[in-house]
Amino acid sequence: MPVSEYPSLLRSEEMSLVQLYVPIDVAHATVEELAELKRVQFKDLNPDVNPFQRTYVSQIRRCDEAERRLRFLTTQIASQDIALRPYEDTLALFAGRSGAQALEEIDQRLVESEQRVAAMNGSYESLEKRALELEEARQVLIETDVFFREASGRSDEIRTSFDDTSAPLLGDVEQAGRHGAEESGFGGLELEFVAGTIDRARMATFERVLWRVLRGNLYMNYAEIDDAALPVPSTEAGSQAGGEAKALRKNVFIIFAHGQELLDKIRKIAESMGATLFPIDSNADKREEKLREVTSRIEDLNSVLYNTNQTRRAELVKIADSITAWWTVVRREKVVYSTLNLWKWDQGRKTLLAEGWVPTRDIPVVQGALRQASENAGTSVSAILHQLPTHKDPPTFHRTNKVTEGFQAIIDAYGIGSYQEVNPGLFTVITFPFLFAVMFGDIGHGFIMMATALTLILIEKRFPKGMGSEIPDTFFFGRYIIFFMGLFAIFTGFIYNDIFSLSLHLAPGHWTWPTPANAGDVVEAVATKAYYPFGLDPAWHGADNALIFTNSMKMKMSVVMGVIHMSFAICLNVLNHLHFKKPELIWAEFLPQILFMESIFGYLIACIVYKWSVDWEAVGRNPPNLLNMLIKLFLSPGNVAPEDQLYPGQAGIQVFLLLLALVCVPWMLCTKPYLIWKEHQKVTEQGYHGIGSNGNGAISADDSDAEGAGHAVVAEEMDEEHEFDFGEHVIHQVIHTIEFCLGCISNTASYLRLWALSLAHAQLSEVLWSMTIEGAFEMEGAAGVAFLVAMFAMWMTLTICILIVMEGLSAFLHALRLHWVEFNGKFFVGAGVAFDPLTFDGCDEIPEGVL
Amino acid sequence: MAGGLIFLYFFIAAAVAAGGFFVVPKGENQVVTRTAIILAITCCWLMWAITYLAQLHPLIKPRRADLRPAHDELFF
Repeated sequence: MPVSEYPSLLRSEEMSLVQLYVPIDVAHATVEELAELKRVQFKDLNPDVNPFQRTYVSQIRRCDEAERRLRFLTTQIASQDIALRPYEDTLALFAGRSGAQALEEIDQRLVESEQRVAAMNGSYESLEKRALELEEARQVLIETDVFFREASGRSDEIRTSFDDTSAPLLGDVEQAGRHGAEESGFGGLELEFVAGTIDRARMATFERVLWRVLRGNLYMNYAEIDDAALPVPSTEAGSQAGGEAKALRKNVFIIFAHGQELLDKIRKIAESMGATLFPIDSNADKREEKLREVTSRIEDLNSVLYNTNQTRRAELVKIADSITAWWTVVRREKVVYSTLNLWKWDQGRKTLLAEGWVPTRDIPVVQGALRQASENAGTSVSAILHQLPTHKDPPTFHRTNKVTEGFQAIIDAYGIGSYQEVNPGLFTVITFPFLFAVMFGDIGHGFIMMATALTLILIEKRFPKGMGSEIPDTFFFGRYIIFFMGLFAIFTGFIYNDIFSLSLHLAPGHWTWPTPANAGDVVEAVATKAYYPFGLDPAWHGADNALIFTNSMKMKMSVVMGVIHMSFAICLNVLNHLHFKKPELIWAEFLPQILFMESIFGYLIACIVYKWSVDWEAVGRNPPNLLNMLIKLFLSPGNVAPEDQLYPGQAGIQVFLLLLALVCVPWMLCTKPYLIWKEHQKVTEQGYHGIGSNGNGAISADDSDAEGAGHAVVAEEMDEEHEFDFGEHVIHQVIHTIEFCLGCISNTASYLRLWALSLAHAQLSEVLWSMTIEGAFEMEGAAGVAFLVAMFAMWMTLTICILIVMEGLSAFLHALRLHWVEFNGKFFVGAGVAFDPLTFDGCDEIPEGVL
Repeated sequence: MAGGLIFLYFFIAAAVAAGGFFVVPKGENQVVTRTAIILAITCCWLMWAITYLAQLHPLIKPRRADLRPAHDELFF
């Protein structure tokens, strides 16, 4: 079937099933070229092979290993707050080389870098631990010094009190202990002690346990270590949530006791409670010396730490320079090998066999890519492309451009169109913004919306990959939709004569206001010969009964638009029936549907238009109520009271229309199943039992242009035998008929939301105006100016937030619903699968969660 | 005649739509552009025509009670 000259959005592109014979040398390059092209969707030719048995599993494992190392290095780089050189700047790094060569090189460098960085991390950690220990020792030395000084200060007093009574007993001890004033501060008693540090949280428990075990035979003193003094090791700091630098809270303690046994017990308890013990000398000089030593060692250690950190940082900076390029190469290679795993290895001819879907229009482009691939690989053989005839359903592909892709996306969200059925996306480009605008009509709000979208459009080149975070991205992706929405909203704003809740008076209208006799008199406008040429007459603005008129007009407008929209949808079925070569369905399904719809609701809108066109004042009658007319059409057909008559001959016509609608129901119910049954009879009579269609994926041997390339078994399943179940078809048709008939009524009523939302928008707008700025206009003087400025700010903010954003989203949603349910429901099947071509998209970004 | 304006604009709109239909150059976007032009003109004309028609023979007149007793006649 020849392909049309240009693509059209009316239907899915025509897709062909193609077969590729790929010599092994050129396979890698071929996949790379096709992925850049984004026009081929490969099928999995090894569906029953589990992932661990596929041909290229070792390569994929290699890629995974590389990815693991990259992840490690990237987190290290991020934790040091080093910036990564963006991918676009690193393109030159691997320019000339094929993916496989680049991967080799990267692998090596990754292994090296990982080892180096891991080693540096290890040594940094152990150095930090050492530094912590030394710092604790220093703190202990300082604090115990304080104790001894305090104690010796008091020891003089103690000694004087003991002097008289106990001199002989402690005489020799005094001798031994006479080394200076700061010596063993407790009356010369040589008490031993245990000193160390412990977590502040455990302090209380520690004290209690000691007290109980030693029965009070101890003296304990402790002091808190200043929070900032202890260096928190980076491993602990890193594990804190939110990166809050938590200090290690520790206390220094010193316990005095007498006797080796007690001291041993103390030591054991201390160790079991997680305290760190330090040997402290009782001699002050020795302590001072130790303090100096510890301090100098801490300084040394700090400089080593600093140097290690600098070296590590330098290494990471060097890696950060090219890591984004490495990520891209690794991810691309993974994509290539995953794709190669889908292909079949042909033992006999040493080639790989691939099958996939390609848009028929793009086959020459694909062939060009294959030739390019063989050039890249430097071989003379290139892959060969074969078109295969098939009866399988291809994926659906709509060729969109930057304007239409937004509209197609919102239709695809409802369902991907079946292959080659009419695409509602084509019409959505105009009807969606239009129905939005009917619910949103306001010149001012529409202008702001359009201007915002226009700005986004004008700066779109700056954001090739979207704007970053999700919500701005959503608005950015829909910029063309929003632009059209704004444009149509300006138009409907002129029709509703609403600009920021005020009315324009662009030309003479139909009404003039007479002067009232007194203030507060009710005054009725007087008609003139002129008619306001475009939209709602401005005389209605501010009138007491404005809503009565506009509600009636908007409701009728909604119904008229709705019925026309739905009739259009029903008519689209004809295009489908013609395309799928089922013209009998036009009179079996389409005709009863359209007759049913038009004989009731088409009649209704004809009456609406007719009633509008009659000058009831001139005729001199009260115009009949259309709603009652419709109800009476069903309840008492053929009886039209003279005062309710809209036009002569009404009774007869209404009976005819009602009967017509009634006939359509069994027509819809029975004809299609009858046709299906008749066709089935014809087929079985010809002796082909149970075969749904003629031929089952015949393998054709045409197109065998290339060198004996040929008849590898196509991995195409035979069509399943389809049991003919008439009952199923009947039930399906019953459901379809009921849904259509009831749907006609409910969907028509559903279009009244066009009125409801436009009323809500207009009222909100009016309330906002009258409650903010309007009051400010009546004030005078400087206070009035200030008040006006403040009120304007409030009015503008609320206009944007409530009337444009909130109401805009609301109207967007309702317009979308009208399209999805009321419009699509009349013709759209939506049982297709989206075309998902091989692509490298997303490979040049670092996966989420790593950074 | 006031009502005839609807028919006049209908023919103008149809002419513009037909003109648009033939003016669009062949290419990738021909179908979309043609559809868009025809649909847009149809929708806009429809909405305008309904609004105009609804106000041709109004069944009620606007009423208000907040006009000042002495005010200038309207300017037109």
